[in-house]
Amino acid sequence: MTEVLVARKLGRRYRWRGGSNQALLDVDLSVPKGVVLGLLGRNGAGKTTFVRIAATSLMPTSGSLEVFGHDVVREADAVRERIAVIPQESRPFYWMSPTELVAYYLRMRGESTGAALRQAKETLEELELTRWKDTQVNRLSGGLRRRVMVAMVMASDAEFLFLDEPTTGLDPLARRSVWAAIRKAAKANRTVLLTTHYLDEAEALSDRLAILESGRLLASGTPREIAARVRHPYRVTLEGGFSEKELRALGQVTQVGAKTLLFTGEQEARELARVSLEKGTRISMGPVSLEDLFVQIVGKEISEEDEEVEASHAA
Amino acid sequence: MPRERLRAIWALVSLNGLLPLRRQPLFLLNTLTSPFSFLFLIYVVSGGKLVADAVEGGMVLTVLSIGTSLQTDLTHYKQDLKFHEMAVASPVSAGTYVVGLALSEFVYSLPGMVIFVILSFFYAHYIFLGGLIVFGTLILIWIFASSLGFTLATYLADVRETFAVSPLISIGLTVIPPVYYPMSALAPWPWLQVAAQIAPTTWAANLVKGAMGLAPLSFAGGVEAVLILLASAGLLFLTAWKKAQWRES
Repeated sequence: MTEVLVARKLGRRYRWRGGSNQALLDVDLSVPKGVVLGLLGRNGAGKTTFVRIAATSLMPTSGSLEVFGHDVVREADAVRERIAVIPQESRPFYWMSPTELVAYYLRMRGESTGAALRQAKETLEELELTRWKDTQVNRLSGGLRRRVMVAMVMASDAEFLFLDEPTTGLDPLARRSVWAAIRKAAKANRTVLLTTHYLDEAEALSDRLAILESGRLLASGTPREIAARVRHPYRVTLEGGFSEKELRALGQVTQVGAKTLLFTGEQEARELARVSLEKGTRISMGPVSLEDLFVQIVGKEISEEDEEVEASHAA
Repeated sequence: MPRERLRAIWALVSLNGLLPLRRQPLFLLNTLTSPFSFLFLIYVVSGGKLVADAVEGGMVLTVLSIGTSLQTDLTHYKQDLKFHEMAVASPVSAGTYVVGLALSEFVYSLPGMVIFVILSFFYAHYIFLGGLIVFGTLILIWIFASSLGFTLATYLADVRETFAVSPLISIGLTVIPPVYYPMSALAPWPWLQVAAQIAPTTWAANLVKGAMGLAPLSFAGGVEAVLILLASAGLLFLTAWKKAQWRES
């Protein structure tokens, strides 16, 4: 597969008078053409910084990043010809209609009026915005405005789309229309880098995942590859039948109401299933969800950091 | 100029100038208020004697206001709407973006300019060559003001900060320098006459008033004013080119 984005030891330190913050550190990441990469992380993990560097809006302070084989620092113009971005918290011009916003954005990118209007009509239909196509944006809800922003970049001819939290504030149905548009973009062999806080969204859309925490890349690969890297790739839900001590020996235990949630390995899960059947205990099991993976990977990182801090304080 | 660049410029002129003006004509008042308030004040205070100077000064201020409006719009689009970031991550160049937005600000200034040009016919000794000199002077002030707006927008973190900067620009470049009144009005304060020479708008006003036959202007004086205006516009353009950040460093 052709890699369309390659980051090597990418770093970014923000400096201000009297302080600084390392927002990204030594990030190595590659994205193949035509995939949807879900970039996950908590607030302040470095997702937006990564997107801004890749979209040529922000300079890195160390390492390098290439998009379509062009260095984003030295050959930014060549990159810009082929990308489009929805920045986090971006908003449309309130005095324009969705049709005007999409069409003028495309014209700004060099499209002819006819082509821009045709593309605008098609994309607004795709995102179920036709009903509001001529309504001034200040009369639209926050969710509709966000969808108009998505329509702007989706309508472009960009081969690589950077979507920084595109569905924040959307209701579940509206999110699904955006998902459909993202899937369509991927089908058309466009590459999408998606940052989101909604793990169900990342799970539904992403071919690949990358998890950032405190500016460092903790994991990357297909969801299956990432699941294979965690210690407890199975999620088991039990209703009685086992003591907490017995379960703790098998993995990570959480009490959810009357049910016990256990994250464990494949062998342990099989054994539990066998014993439960013998005992007649209710049990359900399956591979961990993306949310579980995220909590395991990021949670482990945070607890290790806490231990380091405690150790340094004790010393 | 490639067709794509022209389309981009026209798109920016439309989305930042023509469309908002069509939807909200009140925007026009914003650009007309300051020049016409000054004109009215000068008319009242001088008993009508300095109204011709004020008309020519009004042209300079109207064009200069492009810079302050541009500064506000650029900051708003960068910090609030994040449109700047969308433009960076597209085939649009920094130059195209600034020229497009600076021209869009011109749209707001046009009605004011038309009124001042009409008034000029009544108050000034209008000649064809004078008109050309005025036009050239205003183009230089437009480049100066747009470069100033673009540079300042780089350093402002919030649109509220532009509200503090804009009046300072207005005072420093149009109120204290003799733009609305003749240099002779500053005679009681010779140091102010010297200080006024720093403002390019003083030279622009000299040229415009000279070209309109309202003040004496020698050939050498005219050349000197043109050179100073060229240098000021060029210097600020270079500053904008070098210092203004298209991409955050």
